[in-house]
Amino acid sequence: MADEPVKEILLDLRGQICPSTLLVALREMNALRSELKAKTVRIIILTTNRDSTVTIPGAAANMGYEVSVETEEDAYRIVIGLHGD
Amino acid sequence: MLAVGLAAGFAMHRSDFCIAGAFRDVFLFGSTFMLKMTGIAVLAAMALIEALRVTGIAPSVAGGPPTLGNLPGGIIFGFGMVLAGGCAVGILYKTGAGNASALAALAGAVTGSGLYAELHPALLPFTTGALGTKATTLPQLLELSPALPAGLTVAAGGWFLFRMARKGELSRGGSARGYIEPWITASLLALLTAGAVAVTGMPLGITTFYAKTAAWLENLAAPGHVSSLAYFGAAGFKLTTPLGIEIKGGAGPVFDSIALIQGATIAGILGGSFLSSLALGEFRPRFAIPARHYLTAFAGGVILALGARIGFGCNVWYVLGGLPAFKLQAVLFTAGLFPGAWLGGLLLKRLI
Repeated sequence: MADEPVKEILLDLRGQICPSTLLVALREMNALRSELKAKTVRIIILTTNRDSTVTIPGAAANMGYEVSVETEEDAYRIVIGLHGD
Repeated sequence: MLAVGLAAGFAMHRSDFCIAGAFRDVFLFGSTFMLKMTGIAVLAAMALIEALRVTGIAPSVAGGPPTLGNLPGGIIFGFGMVLAGGCAVGILYKTGAGNASALAALAGAVTGSGLYAELHPALLPFTTGALGTKATTLPQLLELSPALPAGLTVAAGGWFLFRMARKGELSRGGSARGYIEPWITASLLALLTAGAVAVTGMPLGITTFYAKTAAWLENLAAPGHVSSLAYFGAAGFKLTTPLGIEIKGGAGPVFDSIALIQGATIAGILGGSFLSSLALGEFRPRFAIPARHYLTAFAGGVILALGARIGFGCNVWYVLGGLPAFKLQAVLFTAGLFPGAWLGGLLLKRLI
Protein backbone atom coordinates (compact mmCIF):
# COMPACT_ATOMS: atom_id res chain seq x y z
CA MET A 1 0.00 0.00 0.00
CA ALA A 2 2.78 2.40 0.98
CA ASP A 3 4.26 2.24 -2.51
CA GLU A 4 0.99 3.09 -4.25
CA PRO A 5 0.89 6.62 -5.69
CA VAL A 6 -1.28 8.96 -3.67
CA LYS A 7 -4.48 9.86 -5.53
CA GLU A 8 -5.24 13.56 -5.60
CA ILE A 9 -8.80 14.91 -5.65
CA LEU A 10 -8.99 18.55 -6.65
CA LEU A 11 -12.06 20.57 -5.63
CA ASP A 12 -12.24 24.02 -7.16
CA LEU A 13 -14.67 25.89 -4.85
CA ARG A 14 -13.56 29.43 -5.64
CA GLY A 15 -16.30 32.04 -5.35
CA GLN A 16 -18.89 29.67 -3.87
CA ILE A 17 -21.53 30.73 -1.38
CA CYS A 18 -20.64 30.57 2.31
CA PRO A 19 -20.41 27.92 3.90
CA SER A 20 -20.38 25.71 0.81
CA THR A 21 -16.60 25.24 1.01
CA LEU A 22 -16.67 23.79 4.52
CA LEU A 23 -19.77 21.67 3.82
CA VAL A 24 -18.21 20.16 0.69
CA ALA A 25 -14.89 19.62 2.46
CA LEU A 26 -16.59 17.80 5.36
CA ARG A 27 -18.64 15.71 2.94
CA GLU A 28 -15.53 14.69 0.99
CA MET A 29 -13.52 13.98 4.14
CA ASN A 30 -16.30 11.71 5.42
CA ALA A 31 -16.75 9.96 2.06
CA LEU A 32 -13.01 9.33 1.75
CA ARG A 33 -12.40 8.53 5.41
CA SER A 34 -10.85 5.09 4.86
CA GLU A 35 -8.65 6.29 2.00
CA LEU A 36 -7.46 9.31 4.01
CA LYS A 37 -6.65 7.07 6.97
CA ALA A 38 -4.83 4.61 4.67
CA LYS A 39 -2.99 7.65 3.24
CA THR A 40 -3.87 6.71 -0.32
CA VAL A 41 -5.72 9.90 -1.13
CA ARG A 42 -5.15 13.64 -0.74
CA ILE A 43 -7.89 16.26 -1.08
CA ILE A 44 -6.86 19.60 -2.54
CA ILE A 45 -9.33 22.47 -2.15
CA LEU A 46 -9.05 25.78 -3.97
CA THR A 47 -11.05 28.47 -2.21
CA THR A 48 -11.41 32.22 -2.07
CA ASN A 49 -13.32 32.00 1.22
CA ARG A 50 -11.04 33.46 3.90
CA ASP A 51 -12.90 31.79 6.75
CA SER A 52 -12.27 28.36 5.21
CA THR A 53 -8.53 28.78 5.77
CA VAL A 54 -9.33 28.46 9.47
CA THR A 55 -12.38 26.21 9.63
CA ILE A 56 -11.31 23.45 7.20
CA PRO A 57 -7.85 22.93 8.74
CA GLY A 58 -9.49 22.88 12.17
CA ALA A 59 -12.01 20.21 11.12
CA ALA A 60 -9.35 18.14 9.30
CA ALA A 61 -6.94 18.29 12.24
CA ASN A 62 -9.74 17.21 14.60
CA MET A 63 -10.28 14.16 12.40
CA GLY A 64 -6.58 13.37 12.65
CA TYR A 65 -5.52 14.31 9.12
CA GLU A 66 -2.47 16.26 8.06
CA VAL A 67 -3.50 19.60 6.64
CA SER A 68 -1.80 22.67 5.20
CA VAL A 69 -2.84 26.02 3.75
CA GLU A 70 -0.89 27.64 0.96
CA THR A 71 -1.50 31.11 -0.42
CA GLU A 72 -1.67 31.20 -4.20
CA GLU A 73 -2.11 34.20 -6.44
CA ASP A 74 -5.87 33.86 -6.92
CA ALA A 75 -6.90 31.43 -4.18
CA TYR A 76 -6.02 29.60 -1.00
CA ARG A 77 -4.94 25.99 -1.54
CA ILE A 78 -5.89 23.68 1.33
CA VAL A 79 -4.33 20.22 1.22
CA ILE A 80 -5.89 17.49 3.39
CA GLY A 81 -4.19 14.13 3.74
CA LEU A 82 -0.69 12.76 3.42
CA HIS A 83 1.99 15.43 3.01
CA GLY A 84 5.71 15.41 2.30
CA ASP A 85 6.01 12.34 0.06
CA MET B 1 -21.09 57.52 8.59
CA LEU B 2 -18.99 56.92 5.48
CA ALA B 3 -15.88 56.62 7.66
CA VAL B 4 -17.75 54.30 10.03
CA GLY B 5 -18.76 52.10 7.10
CA LEU B 6 -15.24 52.11 5.62
CA ALA B 7 -13.71 50.96 8.90
CA ALA B 8 -16.40 48.30 9.43
CA GLY B 9 -16.15 46.98 5.85
CA PHE B 10 -12.36 46.82 5.96
CA ALA B 11 -12.19 45.02 9.31
CA MET B 12 -15.12 42.67 8.60
CA HIS B 13 -13.46 41.55 5.37
CA ARG B 14 -10.11 40.98 7.07
CA SER B 15 -11.67 38.88 9.86
CA ASP B 16 -14.43 37.43 7.65
CA PHE B 17 -16.70 38.59 10.47
CA CYS B 18 -19.87 36.79 9.42
CA ILE B 19 -22.68 37.30 11.95
CA ALA B 20 -24.98 35.01 9.94
CA GLY B 21 -22.29 32.35 10.32
CA ALA B 22 -22.07 33.05 14.05
CA PHE B 23 -25.69 31.95 14.56
CA ARG B 24 -25.70 29.30 11.81
CA ASP B 25 -22.52 27.47 12.84
CA VAL B 26 -23.79 26.76 16.34
CA PHE B 27 -26.30 24.39 14.72
CA LEU B 28 -24.57 23.45 11.47
CA PHE B 29 -21.05 22.73 12.75
CA GLY B 30 -21.40 22.87 16.55
CA SER B 31 -19.02 25.86 16.56
CA THR B 32 -19.61 28.72 18.98
CA PHE B 33 -16.44 30.72 18.26
CA MET B 34 -18.00 33.44 16.10
CA LEU B 35 -21.05 33.67 18.37
CA LYS B 36 -18.65 34.40 21.25
CA MET B 37 -16.96 37.02 19.05
CA THR B 38 -20.37 38.59 18.37
CA GLY B 39 -20.88 38.47 22.14
CA ILE B 40 -17.72 40.59 22.52
CA ALA B 41 -19.24 43.20 20.21
CA VAL B 42 -22.44 43.19 22.31
CA LEU B 43 -20.61 43.40 25.65
CA ALA B 44 -18.26 46.16 24.53
CA ALA B 45 -21.16 48.13 23.02
CA MET B 46 -23.11 47.63 26.27
CA ALA B 47 -20.31 49.23 28.29
CA LEU B 48 -19.96 52.10 25.81
CA ILE B 49 -23.70 52.77 25.43
CA GLU B 50 -24.13 52.75 29.21
CA ALA B 51 -21.23 55.23 29.47
CA LEU B 52 -22.99 57.44 26.89
CA ARG B 53 -26.19 57.25 28.95
CA VAL B 54 -24.53 57.99 32.29
CA THR B 55 -22.60 60.95 30.88
CA GLY B 56 -25.74 62.27 29.21
CA ILE B 57 -24.17 62.24 25.74
CA ALA B 58 -26.85 59.88 24.42
CA PRO B 59 -29.58 59.32 27.05
CA SER B 60 -31.28 56.54 25.08
CA VAL B 61 -31.12 54.41 21.95
CA ALA B 62 -33.90 54.84 19.37
CA GLY B 63 -36.73 52.30 19.27
CA GLY B 64 -40.21 51.84 20.71
CA PRO B 65 -41.90 49.15 22.80
CA PRO B 66 -41.83 45.55 21.59
CA THR B 67 -44.48 44.39 19.13
CA LEU B 68 -45.82 41.13 17.76
CA GLY B 69 -43.56 41.42 14.70
CA ASN B 70 -40.20 41.34 16.50
CA LEU B 71 -39.92 37.61 17.27
CA PRO B 72 -41.26 36.23 13.94
CA GLY B 73 -39.23 38.93 12.17
CA GLY B 74 -36.10 37.54 13.84
CA ILE B 75 -37.00 33.96 12.88
CA ILE B 76 -37.63 34.91 9.24
CA PHE B 77 -34.50 37.08 9.12
CA GLY B 78 -32.38 34.30 10.67
CA PHE B 79 -33.67 31.80 8.14
CA GLY B 80 -33.03 34.21 5.27
CA MET B 81 -29.53 35.27 6.32
CA VAL B 82 -28.33 31.66 6.40
CA LEU B 83 -29.60 31.03 2.86
CA ALA B 84 -28.23 34.40 1.71
CA GLY B 85 -24.76 33.49 2.99
CA GLY B 86 -24.59 36.67 5.06
CA CYS B 87 -26.60 39.04 7.20
CA ALA B 88 -27.67 42.59 6.33
CA VAL B 89 -24.07 43.76 6.49
CA GLY B 90 -22.39 40.44 5.64
CA ILE B 91 -23.78 40.45 2.12
CA LEU B 92 -22.38 43.99 1.77
CA TYR B 93 -18.78 43.31 2.78
CA LYS B 94 -18.79 40.11 0.74
CA THR B 95 -20.16 41.95 -2.30
CA GLY B 96 -17.51 44.64 -1.86
CA ALA B 97 -14.85 41.95 -1.91
CA GLY B 98 -16.17 40.57 -5.21
CA ASN B 99 -18.37 37.66 -4.13
CA ALA B 100 -21.01 37.05 -6.82
CA SER B 101 -23.46 35.11 -4.64
CA ALA B 102 -23.46 37.96 -2.10
CA LEU B 103 -24.37 40.33 -4.95
CA ALA B 104 -27.30 38.02 -5.75
CA ALA B 105 -28.31 38.13 -2.07
CA LEU B 106 -28.16 41.93 -2.18
CA ALA B 107 -30.41 41.95 -5.25
CA GLY B 108 -32.72 39.61 -3.34
CA ALA B 109 -32.76 41.96 -0.34
CA VAL B 110 -33.81 44.89 -2.54
CA THR B 111 -36.45 42.72 -4.24
CA GLY B 112 -37.73 41.44 -0.90
CA SER B 113 -38.01 45.00 0.40
CA GLY B 114 -40.11 45.92 -2.65
CA LEU B 115 -42.26 42.84 -2.09
CA TYR B 116 -42.79 43.87 1.53
CA ALA B 117 -44.15 47.24 0.42
CA GLU B 118 -46.94 45.34 -1.38
CA LEU B 119 -47.68 43.20 1.69
CA HIS B 120 -47.34 46.06 4.20
CA PRO B 121 -51.06 46.94 4.55
CA ALA B 122 -51.98 43.30 5.22
CA LEU B 123 -49.09 42.65 7.63
CA LEU B 124 -49.02 45.92 9.57
CA PRO B 125 -51.98 45.20 11.90
CA PHE B 126 -50.18 42.04 13.01
CA THR B 127 -46.57 43.29 13.11
CA THR B 128 -47.42 46.41 15.13
CA GLY B 129 -49.62 44.48 17.57
CA ALA B 130 -48.80 45.55 21.14
CA LEU B 131 -47.34 43.13 23.66
CA GLY B 132 -48.89 44.78 26.69
CA THR B 133 -45.99 46.94 27.79
CA LYS B 134 -44.91 50.48 27.03
CA ALA B 135 -41.42 49.75 28.32
CA THR B 136 -38.80 49.84 25.57
CA THR B 137 -36.00 48.22 27.57
CA LEU B 138 -35.64 45.36 30.03
CA PRO B 139 -34.55 47.68 32.89
CA GLN B 140 -37.66 49.83 32.26
CA LEU B 141 -39.84 46.72 32.38
CA LEU B 142 -38.24 45.62 35.65
CA GLU B 143 -38.10 49.20 36.97
CA LEU B 144 -34.35 49.01 37.46
CA SER B 145 -31.53 51.39 36.66
CA PRO B 146 -29.81 50.22 33.42
CA ALA B 147 -26.50 50.46 35.29
CA LEU B 148 -27.31 47.31 37.29
CA PRO B 149 -27.95 44.81 34.45
CA ALA B 150 -25.28 46.47 32.29
CA GLY B 151 -22.71 46.31 35.08
CA LEU B 152 -23.52 42.70 35.94
CA THR B 153 -23.56 41.53 32.30
CA VAL B 154 -20.31 43.29 31.42
CA ALA B 155 -18.63 41.96 34.57
CA ALA B 156 -19.80 38.36 33.95
CA GLY B 157 -18.98 38.55 30.23
CA GLY B 158 -15.63 40.15 30.97
CA TRP B 159 -14.73 37.35 33.37
CA PHE B 160 -15.73 34.76 30.75
CA LEU B 161 -13.58 36.54 28.12
CA PHE B 162 -10.66 36.82 30.55
CA ARG B 163 -10.78 33.05 31.00
CA MET B 164 -10.99 32.56 27.23
CA ALA B 165 -7.96 34.81 26.75
CA ARG B 166 -5.94 32.94 29.38
CA LYS B 167 -6.65 29.67 27.61
CA GLY B 168 -5.65 31.22 24.29
CA GLU B 169 -9.20 30.74 22.97
CA LEU B 170 -9.71 34.34 21.86
CA SER B 171 -7.27 33.94 19.00
CA ARG B 172 -8.10 31.94 15.92
CA GLY B 173 -4.71 32.11 14.24
CA GLY B 174 -6.10 32.58 10.74
CA SER B 175 -3.67 32.05 7.90
CA ALA B 176 -5.46 34.22 5.32
CA ARG B 177 -3.54 37.25 4.05
CA GLY B 178 -3.85 40.31 6.30
CA TYR B 179 -5.97 38.44 8.83
CA ILE B 180 -7.35 40.46 11.74
CA GLU B 181 -8.43 38.44 14.77
CA PRO B 182 -12.26 38.61 15.07
CA TRP B 183 -12.16 39.93 18.67
CA ILE B 184 -10.45 43.05 17.36
CA THR B 185 -13.14 43.56 14.70
CA ALA B 186 -15.83 42.87 17.32
CA SER B 187 -14.37 45.60 19.53
CA LEU B 188 -14.20 47.97 16.57
CA LEU B 189 -17.85 47.25 15.67
CA ALA B 190 -18.84 48.10 19.24
CA LEU B 191 -16.91 51.37 19.03
CA LEU B 192 -18.53 52.23 15.69
CA THR B 193 -22.00 51.36 17.02
CA ALA B 194 -21.46 53.55 20.08
CA GLY B 195 -20.21 56.33 17.79
CA ALA B 196 -23.39 56.03 15.70
CA VAL B 197 -25.53 56.15 18.86
CA ALA B 198 -23.66 59.21 20.12
CA VAL B 199 -24.11 61.10 16.85
CA THR B 200 -27.46 59.89 15.47
CA GLY B 201 -29.16 58.41 18.54
CA MET B 202 -29.60 55.21 16.53
CA PRO B 203 -27.64 51.98 16.13
CA LEU B 204 -26.11 51.26 12.73
CA GLY B 205 -28.91 50.72 10.22
CA ILE B 206 -28.82 49.19 6.77
CA THR B 207 -32.04 47.63 5.56
CA THR B 208 -34.30 50.68 5.19
CA PHE B 209 -31.91 51.78 2.45
CA TYR B 210 -32.54 48.45 0.68
CA ALA B 211 -36.25 49.35 0.71
CA LYS B 212 -35.41 52.85 -0.49
CA THR B 213 -33.42 51.37 -3.37
CA ALA B 214 -36.41 49.20 -4.27
CA ALA B 215 -38.62 52.31 -4.19
CA TRP B 216 -36.19 54.27 -6.41
CA LEU B 217 -35.99 51.43 -8.95
CA GLU B 218 -39.77 50.87 -8.98
CA ASN B 219 -40.26 54.61 -9.27
CA LEU B 220 -38.45 54.55 -12.61
CA ALA B 221 -41.03 52.14 -14.07
CA ALA B 222 -44.21 52.81 -12.11
CA PRO B 223 -44.14 56.08 -10.13
CA GLY B 224 -47.91 56.08 -9.72
CA HIS B 225 -47.85 52.66 -8.09
CA VAL B 226 -44.98 53.62 -5.77
CA SER B 227 -46.80 56.72 -4.56
CA SER B 228 -49.89 54.60 -3.87
CA LEU B 229 -48.00 52.29 -1.47
CA ALA B 230 -48.41 53.27 2.17
CA TYR B 231 -45.03 51.84 3.21
CA PHE B 232 -43.13 54.09 0.82
CA GLY B 233 -45.15 57.09 1.98
CA ALA B 234 -44.55 56.57 5.70
CA ALA B 235 -41.81 58.23 7.74
CA GLY B 236 -40.63 55.29 9.84
CA PHE B 237 -37.94 57.36 11.54
CA LYS B 238 -38.73 60.46 13.57
CA LEU B 239 -36.26 61.43 16.25
CA THR B 240 -34.00 64.15 17.55
CA THR B 241 -30.33 63.19 17.66
CA PRO B 242 -28.18 63.76 20.76
CA LEU B 243 -26.75 66.74 18.84
CA GLY B 244 -30.26 68.21 18.56
CA ILE B 245 -30.76 67.56 14.85
CA GLU B 246 -34.25 66.48 13.72
CA ILE B 247 -34.20 63.23 11.74
CA LYS B 248 -37.21 62.29 9.69
CA GLY B 249 -37.28 59.77 6.92
CA GLY B 250 -38.34 56.40 5.68
CA ALA B 251 -38.29 53.99 2.78
CA GLY B 252 -39.82 56.32 0.20
CA PRO B 253 -37.98 57.27 -3.00
CA VAL B 254 -36.69 60.58 -1.67
CA PHE B 255 -33.28 61.72 -0.49
CA ASP B 256 -33.90 62.19 3.24
CA SER B 257 -31.84 61.85 6.44
CA ILE B 258 -32.14 58.05 6.32
CA ALA B 259 -30.83 57.99 2.75
CA LEU B 260 -27.87 60.05 3.89
CA ILE B 261 -27.09 58.07 7.08
CA GLN B 262 -27.71 54.53 5.81
CA GLY B 263 -26.53 55.23 2.27
CA ALA B 264 -23.19 56.55 3.54
CA THR B 265 -22.80 53.54 5.88
CA ILE B 266 -23.51 51.11 3.04
CA ALA B 267 -21.19 52.90 0.61
CA GLY B 268 -18.51 52.83 3.31
CA ILE B 269 -18.86 49.09 3.97
CA LEU B 270 -18.78 48.28 0.25
CA GLY B 271 -15.79 50.58 -0.23
CA GLY B 272 -13.95 49.35 2.88
CA SER B 273 -14.13 45.69 1.94
CA PHE B 274 -13.33 46.52 -1.70
CA LEU B 275 -10.19 48.40 -0.65
CA SER B 276 -9.22 45.61 1.76
CA SER B 277 -9.57 42.87 -0.84
CA LEU B 278 -7.84 45.01 -3.50
CA ALA B 279 -4.89 45.71 -1.20
CA LEU B 280 -4.53 41.96 -0.57
CA GLY B 281 -4.79 41.11 -4.28
CA GLU B 282 -7.98 39.17 -3.53
CA PHE B 283 -10.48 41.20 -5.53
CA ARG B 284 -11.16 38.66 -8.27
CA PRO B 285 -14.94 38.31 -8.84
CA ARG B 286 -15.90 34.84 -10.04
CA PHE B 287 -19.29 34.48 -11.64
CA ALA B 288 -18.86 30.83 -12.69
CA ILE B 289 -20.48 29.30 -9.62
CA PRO B 290 -23.38 26.82 -9.57
CA ALA B 291 -26.73 28.39 -10.51
CA ARG B 292 -28.32 27.00 -7.33
CA HIS B 293 -25.92 29.16 -5.30
CA TYR B 294 -27.27 32.28 -7.03
CA LEU B 295 -30.85 31.13 -6.51
CA THR B 296 -30.29 30.22 -2.84
CA ALA B 297 -28.58 33.55 -2.13
CA PHE B 298 -31.26 35.55 -3.97
CA ALA B 299 -34.09 33.75 -2.15
CA GLY B 300 -32.23 34.22 1.13
CA GLY B 301 -31.94 37.94 0.41
CA VAL B 302 -35.69 38.20 -0.28
CA ILE B 303 -36.54 36.37 2.97
CA LEU B 304 -33.97 38.36 4.97
CA ALA B 305 -35.53 41.63 3.81
CA LEU B 306 -39.05 40.44 4.65
CA GLY B 307 -37.82 39.46 8.12
CA ALA B 308 -36.22 42.87 8.62
CA ARG B 309 -39.43 44.68 7.71
CA ILE B 310 -41.68 42.39 9.77
CA GLY B 311 -39.31 42.71 12.75
CA PHE B 312 -38.69 46.47 12.20
CA GLY B 313 -34.92 46.07 11.97
CA CYS B 314 -32.04 43.79 11.12
CA ASN B 315 -29.34 42.00 13.09
CA VAL B 316 -26.97 44.98 12.92
CA TRP B 317 -29.63 47.27 14.36
CA TYR B 318 -30.78 44.82 17.02
CA VAL B 319 -27.84 42.56 17.92
CA LEU B 320 -25.05 45.14 17.73
CA GLY B 321 -27.07 48.18 18.85
CA GLY B 322 -30.35 47.23 20.53
CA LEU B 323 -29.24 44.27 22.61
CA PRO B 324 -26.42 46.23 24.32
CA ALA B 325 -29.08 48.78 25.37
CA PHE B 326 -31.39 45.96 26.58
CA LYS B 327 -34.08 46.96 24.08
CA LEU B 328 -36.98 44.51 24.36
CA GLN B 329 -37.45 44.55 20.59
CA ALA B 330 -33.82 43.45 20.22
CA VAL B 331 -34.18 40.68 22.80
CA LEU B 332 -37.16 39.22 20.90
CA PHE B 333 -35.57 39.63 17.45
CA THR B 334 -32.27 38.07 18.60
CA ALA B 335 -34.13 35.18 20.24
CA GLY B 336 -35.80 34.58 16.87
CA LEU B 337 -32.48 34.46 15.02
CA PHE B 338 -31.55 31.14 16.68
CA PRO B 339 -34.48 28.98 15.47
CA GLY B 340 -34.36 30.83 12.14
CA ALA B 341 -30.67 30.06 11.67
CA TRP B 342 -31.24 26.44 12.71
CA LEU B 343 -34.01 25.99 10.12
CA GLY B 344 -31.93 27.81 7.49
CA GLY B 345 -29.00 25.48 8.14
CA LEU B 346 -31.22 22.40 7.74
CA LEU B 347 -32.39 23.62 4.33
CA LEU B 348 -28.98 24.87 3.25
CA LYS B 349 -27.44 21.42 3.74
CA ARG B 350 -29.94 20.03 1.23
CA LEU B 351 -29.46 22.84 -1.26
CA ILE B 352 -25.65 22.96 -1.37
